[in-house]
Amino acid sequence: MSILELKNTGKKFAGSQEWAVKGFDLTIEKGEIVGLLGESGCGKTTLLRMIAGFETPTQGTILINGQVVAGQGVFIEPQNRLVGIVFQDYALFPHKTVWENITFGLFKLTRHQASVKARGILELTGLQGLEERYPHQLSGGQKQRVALARAMAPEPNIILFDEPFSNIDSMRKHQMRDHIQNIIQETGATAVFVTHDTKDVMAMADKVSVIRKGKALQTDTPPNLYNFPANTYVADFFGKTNLIKAKVSEQGLETPLGIMQSNQNLPASMGEVLLSIRPEEFKISEHEPNCFCGNIVKERFLGEYKELTCKIETNTGDDTEIVIYAAPHIDCSSQKCYFRPNQDKINIINRD
Amino acid sequence: MLKYLSTPYRAISNRQLSNPWIGWAFFVALLIALPLIIVFSNIFMDGGTTWQHILKNLLPGYAINTLILMAGVALLTFIIGVSTAWFTSTYHFPGSRFFTWALILPIALPAYISGFTWAGILDYASPVYVFFRNYLGVDMGQFLFFNILSIPGAIIILSLSLYPYVYLITRAWFSRQSSNLFEVAASLGKKPGAIFFGVALPMARPAIVAGISLALMEVLNDYGLARHFGVDTFTTGIFTAWFSFSHPQSGLKLSAYLMIFVLALILMERFQRRQMRYDMVGNHYRPLEKKKLKGFMAAMAFTASVIPFLLGFLIPVIMLVYWSIKTAPQVVDYRFWELLGNSFMLAGLASLIVLGVALFIAFTVRSFPSPFVRILSRIATLGYALPGAVVAIGILVPFLWLDAYLLQWSGTGMRLALTGTWLALLYAYLVRFMAVGYNSVDSGMERISKSLDEASRSLGHSNMTTLFKINIPLLSGAMVSAALLVFIDVLKELPLTLILRPFNFDTLAIRAFEFASDERVAEAAPAALIIIITGMLPVLLLHKILGKDNK
Repeated sequence: MSILELKNTGKKFAGSQEWAVKGFDLTIEKGEIVGLLGESGCGKTTLLRMIAGFETPTQGTILINGQVVAGQGVFIEPQNRLVGIVFQDYALFPHKTVWENITFGLFKLTRHQASVKARGILELTGLQGLEERYPHQLSGGQKQRVALARAMAPEPNIILFDEPFSNIDSMRKHQMRDHIQNIIQETGATAVFVTHDTKDVMAMADKVSVIRKGKALQTDTPPNLYNFPANTYVADFFGKTNLIKAKVSEQGLETPLGIMQSNQNLPASMGEVLLSIRPEEFKISEHEPNCFCGNIVKERFLGEYKELTCKIETNTGDDTEIVIYAAPHIDCSSQKCYFRPNQDKINIINRD
Repeated sequence: MLKYLSTPYRAISNRQLSNPWIGWAFFVALLIALPLIIVFSNIFMDGGTTWQHILKNLLPGYAINTLILMAGVALLTFIIGVSTAWFTSTYHFPGSRFFTWALILPIALPAYISGFTWAGILDYASPVYVFFRNYLGVDMGQFLFFNILSIPGAIIILSLSLYPYVYLITRAWFSRQSSNLFEVAASLGKKPGAIFFGVALPMARPAIVAGISLALMEVLNDYGLARHFGVDTFTTGIFTAWFSFSHPQSGLKLSAYLMIFVLALILMERFQRRQMRYDMVGNHYRPLEKKKLKGFMAAMAFTASVIPFLLGFLIPVIMLVYWSIKTAPQVVDYRFWELLGNSFMLAGLASLIVLGVALFIAFTVRSFPSPFVRILSRIATLGYALPGAVVAIGILVPFLWLDAYLLQWSGTGMRLALTGTWLALLYAYLVRFMAVGYNSVDSGMERISKSLDEASRSLGHSNMTTLFKINIPLLSGAMVSAALLVFIDVLKELPLTLILRPFNFDTLAIRAFEFASDERVAEAAPAALIIIITGMLPVLLLHKILGKDNK
């Protein structure tokens, strides 16, 4: 049985014309870490708040552990859902110590049980020794760990994170991601987090739902989203890509640059398509068969790789530009670049 | 699809109706609106011959006097309030730091106290007169152009105790302005006077009008000063109808007419605020840098500030202290302590009730922020605009009905009277002062991040335990200030208490007023002084807060 199921879930705020979330489907299994990715205002936070019970869906059903918590005439109050949440501003109670914050959700246990549990969670999150501190005496990272510890203490069905890394500087981000991921995986907890940063989901999530204007565009694993984006929005969101129009024919893919070969089995009946090729999916060599040639118009050194912008004359007479990531040692003095796309990584996407 | 759409809508509306928080908020709002509904519904009823008499012979006079008072107070509070606000917020001059907070102090002096004090000072037998006559050989009477017990006198006294509303709001507005704004005007070659009249004044209009509206609401609320000065206004008219004619119906009708004044005032204020919405000069905000005034201008700023402070606060207070010392041995007896106990008990109970209800309403709005609930909170805080006499009549009439009904129901032997009990009085204070408590509590709650409530809910706590374990501990400051403000308002309240008080029940305010009415101003002083000192507390606290902000 799934931990969380969203069926056709939608939300339209009173007085608003647009749906904040519309027809959203998502299933989360126990132990999964799922990212909800999108730009600000795309509806991802509304989705999170509906799962927690702070917003009532206008449409659809939400099930937690197979039990309907919203929809079908049912509404379970947030306090009865056993859903933990780590807020963007951490929302630690300023008048309570770390210990009191963590035990705040353990009021149904006996004093002894609560203290055993709280001690366990303090150890897990590495907060020992800070029990008597007040939130204002903690660093940002410590605050986040207290917020996590507090949310995990009642052993919720699922833990929700709202933009967990937006308040943490990029230097500490990696560390925090690893730390949180370890804690979640160690306890076998299920987590959903909302973010606008693709690096967050790449680093942490087992499964990601890319959201735009309240709708899920694509839900898949991070590598699949990167390599096989379903449409141009997802393709762009995960980094640079080259979008090339093509027509499927007997010879292969007819593009303005010439014929490309794909290892996928593409029937000619597909007709006009759009290709997405990531900049690193090109082999640079003049000795390859069927390679293309372009003039390097821009060369940027970016550390691990070089970003080359190549201008190629198309068969319609116009020029087009292709972005290629090349190894830093490649010599570009000739101003010419011969390249060939990786036949496994030519991806056909939806036009939108 | 249709099934999906229809079910949740039903669920939401069921939730709204069955939600106990919203249900109780609805009940409270209804309770608070009840006096208002009763006053208004009466406007269409037949008033009988007494009302015909009032309508024909007295109402025009009431209306004219009230309008003259309002116009005069509007003009005078505008002049005093805006000029002092401008001087203290933009210039340094001798005493400017002191005046910044001292100019608020007259707000602690209710107009009726200041009124009978000044009437006492200017009386032919007053110690001031005697001093001038006996020691300096000067008859002060020849310098006085007019009798203070008149409409102009009332306007001056009311303005002296109400200008702080204009001063406070306008000053807060000036201090929030970026100095760039005025420097641009100066760099365009405008002289200081032209900057004030051409830039500062038009821009501060919303703040100034808001302050004057508050002052005018107090004018409509005033009973003590108008009665003492013999000016017949709507409010004194309500008293005449109720006490002299024993005709509550006419009191209700007069209240309804008075409400039209209040409504017009509120609408005017709202309208001008909507018309004028200025953006703050956003990115490059620099607080006003005060310039140092010298010579004639400094003397002018000093005079403009010292006159309202002297006349509105220092002289009357010194006089009251003098009288108190003289009369305390006779006045302060066990009856006086009883009076003090009554007043403090009543004010304390009222502020606790207001605080509790305000907390409840503010938390309901916070937790269930639907338009319906917001309207309920608006209704619950309507009372601030209602003159005390109107609230009192609006509560008195249903209580009289209820008493009549109870009498009938219980048979002839027993009299279960609710009229003239603390219940009626506390209910009236709740209606009248709910807004005072609510605004403090609500602004305190707004400073608490909503995610704290949500964190508590997600950790398994209900709304109720969240309120008690999270919100209330974090609101202690706002709650103290809410309770204190209501406490002071109840302590100095006069018209409402006069109408609804239990038989033979006196408060400090009533006793002071009654002594003064009997031409025994000196005996009124001790009670008046206690009211003033209590009223100074928030001003001094405010000064402390202002001082912190400056650093």
